[in-house]
Amino acid sequence: MSKPNDLVQGTLDLLLLKMLALEPLHGWAISLRLKSISGDVLQVSEGSLYPALHKLEQEGWIAAEWKQTENNRRAKFYSLTRLGRKQLESEAANWQRLSAAISHVIQIAEV
Amino acid sequence: MRMEHWWFTARLRLRSILRRSRVEQELDEELQFHLEHKIEEGIAQGLSPKEARYRALRAMDGLEQRKEEIRDMRRIHWLTDFLDDVHYAVRSLRRTSGLTAFVVVTLALGIGLTAMSFSTVDALIFRPYPVPHPGGVVSLVSTSHDNSYDNFSYREYLDIRSHTRSYDGVIANTNLGTVGFSADPGTTPRARAGMMVSGNYFHVLGVEPRLGRAFRDDEDQAPGRDAVVVLAPDFWKNEFASDPGVVGRTIRLNGRDFTVIGVAPETFPGMLIFANPDFYMPLAMAPVFSTNPQKRFFEDRDDRELSVKARLNRGTTQRQAHNELAVLAQNFERDYPQLNRNRGAAVHTQFEMLTRNDVNASPWKFLVICFILALSVLLVACTNVAGLLLSRARARTREIAVRLALGAGRFRLIRLLLTESLIFACFGGLGGIAVAYGGIQFLCSTTIPAELPVTNPFRMDTRVLLACLGLSLLSALLCGLAPALQSASADLVNGLKSAGVDVPGRKRLWGRNALVVAQVSTSLMLLTAAFLMVRGFRHNLAEGTKFEQHHLLLVRFDPRMVQYNAAQTQQFYKLLIERVRVAPGVRSAGLTQNPPLALERFDTVAFVPDGFEMPRDRENFVSTMDTVDEGYFETIGVPILRGRGFLASDTAEAPRVAVVNEQFAKHYWPGADAVGKHIRLDKRAGAPVEIVGVAETIKYRSGMEKPLDFVYLPLAQHPIPRMLLLVRSTGDPLPLVQPVKDIVRALDPNLPMLQTRSYEDLYRYNFVDGPGAAIKGVGTMGAVGLLLAIAGLYGVVAYNVSRRTREIGIRMALGAGSRDVLRLVMGQGLVLVGMGTAIGLAMSFGVERLLNSLFNTGGVDIAVYLAVAPSMVVVTMLAAYVPARRAARIAPTQALRYE
Repeated sequence: MSKPNDLVQGTLDLLLLKMLALEPLHGWAISLRLKSISGDVLQVSEGSLYPALHKLEQEGWIAAEWKQTENNRRAKFYSLTRLGRKQLESEAANWQRLSAAISHVIQIAEV
Repeated sequence: MRMEHWWFTARLRLRSILRRSRVEQELDEELQFHLEHKIEEGIAQGLSPKEARYRALRAMDGLEQRKEEIRDMRRIHWLTDFLDDVHYAVRSLRRTSGLTAFVVVTLALGIGLTAMSFSTVDALIFRPYPVPHPGGVVSLVSTSHDNSYDNFSYREYLDIRSHTRSYDGVIANTNLGTVGFSADPGTTPRARAGMMVSGNYFHVLGVEPRLGRAFRDDEDQAPGRDAVVVLAPDFWKNEFASDPGVVGRTIRLNGRDFTVIGVAPETFPGMLIFANPDFYMPLAMAPVFSTNPQKRFFEDRDDRELSVKARLNRGTTQRQAHNELAVLAQNFERDYPQLNRNRGAAVHTQFEMLTRNDVNASPWKFLVICFILALSVLLVACTNVAGLLLSRARARTREIAVRLALGAGRFRLIRLLLTESLIFACFGGLGGIAVAYGGIQFLCSTTIPAELPVTNPFRMDTRVLLACLGLSLLSALLCGLAPALQSASADLVNGLKSAGVDVPGRKRLWGRNALVVAQVSTSLMLLTAAFLMVRGFRHNLAEGTKFEQHHLLLVRFDPRMVQYNAAQTQQFYKLLIERVRVAPGVRSAGLTQNPPLALERFDTVAFVPDGFEMPRDRENFVSTMDTVDEGYFETIGVPILRGRGFLASDTAEAPRVAVVNEQFAKHYWPGADAVGKHIRLDKRAGAPVEIVGVAETIKYRSGMEKPLDFVYLPLAQHPIPRMLLLVRSTGDPLPLVQPVKDIVRALDPNLPMLQTRSYEDLYRYNFVDGPGAAIKGVGTMGAVGLLLAIAGLYGVVAYNVSRRTREIGIRMALGAGSRDVLRLVMGQGLVLVGMGTAIGLAMSFGVERLLNSLFNTGGVDIAVYLAVAPSMVVVTMLAAYVPARRAARIAPTQALRYE
């Protein structure tokens, strides 16, 4: 199945929201950027990218708009909505709490 | 935040639904855009275009699967799937349009009858009071030793009001009474319905008047002082053409001027079910409206005329209120031992009041039974439909197995099959609404010739429509679930191989066979009963009233309404008869307490016939009776067979006399002449009354009754204030209304003429409309039963044929002719119809005996059975024949290959 097994559940959403918070992007650009930002650590299959984007769109966190690319082709650009920004903030905060807690646990184990 | 979120997503969902193709196209384009870039990337890396394309598609992990996953993200697949199901179901139902129509009609009848019967139950039991927060309104009742409910007296009401703490307010009202109403002092009064209520009535119920104001508390203090009246909305509309200037006007009630102070709102037609007041007066005006001169309304603690209701305090339970009232009732019993011996009190909710078991209770039990019967009709209809669908589902076993093999989920399949039955139920529900509407119209169509108009409480409202909806959904589930579950749990391997290999299970069909037998027998019984009733009805119509019912005018008077004493009453009737008799167009006139075939009950008289051996355990006999004057027999046209009728010389001072009917004479003096014999009233030592004449036996209570004992007593010797003037006219009786009105006005302009109608009305109600309604009811039930029986039989036989197709094919291949096959398949149907007919005939004989014992229907009628039973058999056999013929026409080669 297409579940991003190599990603912690829900992390893909966070990554996408963060990326779109910087600028509006279309699907292909997102897939390129995912690869370049995270190197080979985070493997996101192209197949699971689009369902994830559509899910975020249906949740109202990102909005889609058809625009011309620099090569003069029509593409669907996604951008963060106001709701999405709030969601991003709360998810980011969550993530930080979680990762802090986990690294704390790991440090205890090393002592 | 939640709202905003909802707003966003709702817009997106709506777009996905309404612009489905556009959304799909965009999805294609978006993925295409990605793929093209990926392919370009591959070519740039040195791959061949073919390889690049292959790599791009592989990276997607399956393009179509991705698309499906994205579609699921839209969160509307439940809807799109449902629409697909509906589309598919409609197509497959249209292929079998005959079956569909039949199922829809059956369901419509079931749903419609149940909804109609629900509307009657709702009106009598469940409909809340038309006031704000109706749940807080409770009824306070006085209970006598036998636990029947009673009202309170005015004194008791005042005590309850001042000694209870459980309520926000305690209100009281009298029964609905006939009041002589005239809009202007100059016009003749007409009979209208009035109700006296306590001053806080509207305030406590929470009803704000539409115009003017409600009563003030001080308007309910001094007896007879504040002549004010509040009008009911309908009365205001009909009588005053919704004139907003009505407040402040003076109207005349029972001869006294009243000032209109307000109009109740449209939302408050009244607290009663079958009739509602036209206007409300304060309790303190009782001297004007009281019709019971023996009792003093404001003083007598046993003049129990008030029904008391109260609004519970917030936080007080019914239990607490009840205990408080019970203590108060004990105090009453202690303080007034003579008047309140063994008397308690209770607090009841509206529902408890409406479902009480009291002599005065409404016929709610009967209606609940009707509702249960109608519901069982619906259940049987559903079972039959389920049977039909089951036989159809078998024909589709292979189709379903293929779908399962291709990966359809079982739950998804059950949903598809349930969608089909849901469509049946939707159309059935629509038809049901039509049936219920027609039925309710029919219930409302009979007009009852009562003194005050009866408002029909049955109506098609939101509650009934909701009931239709609920019943439709219920029947969809009932019809569809069994076939759906069975199909979906089909064994996949066997299903794909062949459909006709399951072991014929007799057990599984036993229930359905029994159902078919029951349907055939009950519908036969009901149809026979309907025919028997038609015959009895004809018989009665032919026999008629035995007196001429045309050219008779009835006018009811009650001089107590204008506070006449006995002497004034007597004088009034004497002058009235004298003057009416000589009016032009009048052949004769008489007075009676109750005409035959009216709605009111006859009084009874207890007596002991002279020279008659009384049974040891009885002190006297009881007979129905009427009080009439000397002009009665001639006017109504009942012949005196022997002796004489009453004469003007039969005065109060003369020896007491009576006229009896022939049935009475035959009953007590068989073979002898009753004229000259004596009866004693009440007991053996009672006053002797000489029988001076024997009148012909007529119909007294209903057109269908058996001969009844009857005694007539002369008005002069048995004075009754409330009498009915009977006028025999030379032509049409209605033009006589005006002359009679003029005579009454000349005698007393304030005396109301109650219930002015031609005798024809009573006759129609008793002989035509009433029995007609009963016959239509039983006939409809019989027809519905027959329809159900046809559906059931067809379903059972069709199911068998579909199951045994392969077997039939083998038989035919081995040389069986189509006649043999027909016999084989029909045989089972014949057995069921035969059993049903036999049981049905037995039940019909029972019903005939019952009808004969209840009504005068005129003996056994073989013709009815000869007509009904064979046609039942023919019709039901046709239902079995249709699928049987299909079986017989099967080509053996086809049947052997069959699924």
